Amino acid sequence: MQRVTNPHDDVAIHRTSPPVIEPGHTFGSVTDKISALTLRRRTPIGWYIGFTLSFMVAGMLMMTIAYLVMTGIGIWGNNVPVGWAFDIINFVWWIGIGHAGTLISAILLLLRQEWRTSINRFAEAMTLFAVASAGLFPLLHTGRPWLAYWLLPYPNTMGMWPQFRSPLMWDVFAVSTYATVSALFWYVGLIPDFATLRDRAKNRVFQIIYGMLALGWRGSARHWARYEATYLLLAGLATPLVLSVHTIVSLDFAVSVIPGWHATIFPPYFVAGAIYAGFAMVLTLTIPLRRFYGLEDFITVRHLRNMAKIMLATGLIVAYGYMTEAFMAWYSANTYEEYMILNRMRGPYAWAYWSLIFCNVIVPQLLWVKRVRHSTVALFLISLVVSVGMWLERFVILVTSLHRDFLVSSWGMYSPTVFDWSMFIGTIGLFFTLLFLFIRFLPIISIFEMRTLVPQAQAQINEEKGQA
Amino acid sequence: MDTTSYNLPPAAERWQTRALIIGVVALVITAVIAFFSGSLTHSGEAGVAQGEAAAAAHGSTTFLAQFFRSYLVGFLFVTGISVGSLAILMLQHLSGGSWGLVIRRILEASTRTMPLLALMFIPIIFGIHSLYEWSHAEAVAADPILKHKSLYLNVPFFIGRAVFYFVVWGALAYFLNKWSREQDHTGDPRVKRQMQNLSGPGILLFGLTVTFAAVDWGMSLEPHWFSTIYGMLVMAAWGLTAMAFTITALVVLSRHDPMSHVYAPSHFHDLGKLLLAFVMIYAYFSFSQFLIIWSGDLPEETSWYLRRLRGGWELIGLAVVILHFALPFVLLLSRDVKRNARRLVLVALLVLVARVVDWIYLIAPASHQTEGHEQSLWPMLLLDFTTMFAATVGLGGIWLWFFLRQLRQQPLLPIGAPDLDKVLAAATTSQH
Amino acid sequence: MKKSTRPATYGLMAEFDDPSAVVAAAQKVYDEGYRSIDAYSPYPIEALSEAIGVHSTRMPLLVLIGGILGLIGGYAMQYYTHAIDYPIIVGGRPFHSWPSFIPITFETTVLGASLAAVFGMLALNGLPEPYHPVFNTPNFALASRDRFFIVIEAVDPKFDRDATAEFLRGLGSREVIDVEH
Repeated sequence: MQRVTNPHDDVAIHRTSPPVIEPGHTFGSVTDKISALTLRRRTPIGWYIGFTLSFMVAGMLMMTIAYLVMTGIGIWGNNVPVGWAFDIINFVWWIGIGHAGTLISAILLLLRQEWRTSINRFAEAMTLFAVASAGLFPLLHTGRPWLAYWLLPYPNTMGMWPQFRSPLMWDVFAVSTYATVSALFWYVGLIPDFATLRDRAKNRVFQIIYGMLALGWRGSARHWARYEATYLLLAGLATPLVLSVHTIVSLDFAVSVIPGWHATIFPPYFVAGAIYAGFAMVLTLTIPLRRFYGLEDFITVRHLRNMAKIMLATGLIVAYGYMTEAFMAWYSANTYEEYMILNRMRGPYAWAYWSLIFCNVIVPQLLWVKRVRHSTVALFLISLVVSVGMWLERFVILVTSLHRDFLVSSWGMYSPTVFDWSMFIGTIGLFFTLLFLFIRFLPIISIFEMRTLVPQAQAQINEEKGQA
Repeated sequence: MDTTSYNLPPAAERWQTRALIIGVVALVITAVIAFFSGSLTHSGEAGVAQGEAAAAAHGSTTFLAQFFRSYLVGFLFVTGISVGSLAILMLQHLSGGSWGLVIRRILEASTRTMPLLALMFIPIIFGIHSLYEWSHAEAVAADPILKHKSLYLNVPFFIGRAVFYFVVWGALAYFLNKWSREQDHTGDPRVKRQMQNLSGPGILLFGLTVTFAAVDWGMSLEPHWFSTIYGMLVMAAWGLTAMAFTITALVVLSRHDPMSHVYAPSHFHDLGKLLLAFVMIYAYFSFSQFLIIWSGDLPEETSWYLRRLRGGWELIGLAVVILHFALPFVLLLSRDVKRNARRLVLVALLVLVARVVDWIYLIAPASHQTEGHEQSLWPMLLLDFTTMFAATVGLGGIWLWFFLRQLRQQPLLPIGAPDLDKVLAAATTSQH
Repeated sequence: MKKSTRPATYGLMAEFDDPSAVVAAAQKVYDEGYRSIDAYSPYPIEALSEAIGVHSTRMPLLVLIGGILGLIGGYAMQYYTHAIDYPIIVGGRPFHSWPSFIPITFETTVLGASLAAVFGMLALNGLPEPYHPVFNTPNFALASRDRFFIVIEAVDPKFDRDATAEFLRGLGSREVIDVEH
């Protein structure tokens, strides 16, 4: 179950592309360079600044939540007819961002794309933190988050059960399964690296903490065999899981009868959108990270370029979704469907619709150009634009579909309050706080998988091929 | 290794003739059965209360209607092989990988059948009034929804769009084949990049054309119904058909010299995984559509499923779930099945049969008036299955004859591709 | 402290610094007839596991069982609560709304399979295991950096302190040392 065993598929790419790891690295140099980021005593000043800022923003989230719990969700701007707004927009946005992490760690592993190796750990961490940020919104939207356990099926004195025919219950199961499996996948991947840190740490406290986390891992060949089998099986399970999660998120809308929500294309269209936004976020984060931590050897131009291509492909699927929605709204000959799309294009929220088309459809077309794909600055900017665009997409789907009810008398407008904004921005702070802690205390690149890319390891693998 | 020897085995000439004979005979059988049954059911149903105009518009009981509906099923199945192959060909240019190199010539030969498919489309133009309600001016005049859609659903535009689809598919196939031939002769590495550069926008064009083709040829059979995922569903269906056919062709070739020395279990393993992926994607799309429409329960949408869940069709639906998803899914989970060519080909053939059943399930109930009928539709259903399978075999046979002619024209491996040596080396070592 | 049945040491450890060398050496150790052996490497090497006689991991079977339990459990839970224990009409849907039950059934299937995979792997590997004799050797910390080790345990019937050490030295190892309990 070697990770990088495919004998031939990347040969062609190697010839014409930059490598996935710069030449000259050995087992030792890879181990030392990555573990030094965690174990080196001096933490860069930039880390302190970044962490403090993020933590302050996260503090704003804490205060908002405290006020929300004391007062009630009336402090948000959603009300009849727009009963779902920022909370669900941000939930879907964050969950979507999380999906790229699973995609990189699981699907690219199954496709034997060895370039994933240096970004998978980071991407998986991003998934976990994004899911944590996402989970806050529906939890708090229940109004009484301390009773959230009512959503779980357990025999109770009320003699009642959760309503499994409702997509909101599907969400509970999908998101909690996703969080569990992502955490397991991440932790399993970390076990050998915890052992590395345990063996490298000079500080007794760290030795004990990393030693406990490593579970006594010693790199036995018998263990590795089961470990590799498990890792591949988890990847095989995580791949359909990640698709199912955003499918179920899309079903929250699609199984209703609201024009603009009730569309059969929603599952694949949401999944593509999630991957699209997720890769944009991975690029947004890795481009500065590789620069500040000097990781250009491990996260090479090739990684950025491949992610740009995936972004282009998923962006086109999302554009296809917009087109199909518009065409079918007309083709359906259904008054409400037709009105829905015209209202999006010409109604009071037309600015949001056209901005999302600009951000998600027009700007990313620059990625067709090779020079853009090779420029880190351009990629960084485009991925920021896409992140904004994908947020706007959810805004348009939620708000424009709800603000025009079937009855004209129930029409209304939605505008977020300051607490909507402080929650949303606060979760960005939470996300970055967790991310900074991760960068400081855990290996941000999978050390043991990077070892498999070292020339010496590749020589052994090739030798094996020759003898087989 | 002698690179000139990758040619079709001599036995292929026999296959070619047989395919043509079977194809023509099956088409004749389709016509004959449709002719007799058409007159039979027509007299049999005369007593049933059903508006004359509706019967004429839907044409559900006439000889021509039965023939053309069967022909459409065969046409959609066979077109799926070629257009699906075109998509997989472009995907393999974009992604690279050894799985793509060993099947490239089969895919290319499939795409070169595009002119034949364009010819095969002509009968549908003649059958347009038997197939599509919206092509009748009086039906459109009586129905505001059809009137609204007539901007899109009208005969000249329908034909024009079909011409456009075939031009696009034909052009993509033409250039990819031309450059691939060039690569054989020159081995120029730039050709590879050229093919990649075309494949990106090519996939985009594929997605758009197939979506509208799906609306035109399939969805508009029930012109009131609409579903936004339908285009993607047909893309997945065609991709699956092409994948299953390509695996079948590869396994047949692997039993004969010279290709028996080339293909290795690892190649079948990769293709088996892709087949599994397509099986899962199709199941995912169709269940999504079902769940959303079932939950919404809006009359204009559920009517489509109601027609398919009554009068015996519910059992066909169950058969599709089992043959098209459950069985291939469970079988393809096994590593042994994927690596063993003899077992894998059985799964691929199962998928091909299931694809025909699924097309029948998608197309045939469109013209059955199940609402208001209490009696069993089994005689009608049996008739549909007979003529539609016969028509698929008929068009499939003729298509196969043309495909084999195309396959003969070039070596069975892209001998100019820069990475071919590695693929062959890996294959020969793993056979020891 | 020494028990009579327990060998004086845990075994012998040979150290290598090249992946190809350790795979070749492990193969020779296995061919020589040693069975109570293990090899240690800083990253997974499929050939090394195979060389010491690990061919099947039983993990796929465990995952399959976990998945089937999750599948049955998830569907049964929904069927029991909605069709048997508390049937209530919601949205005009039947009590046994099988299409609505599919998404959660899918999630519980994946959850069951994943839990089986992770905890099955840990259980079969005997982890967590805070103490193990191999950690007593001075260079073993490098097993998580750039060194490869082969250990022949003293309980192996073919084990003989001197002959085995001699044999290991002949395999091109950097060093052969005793592993204390």
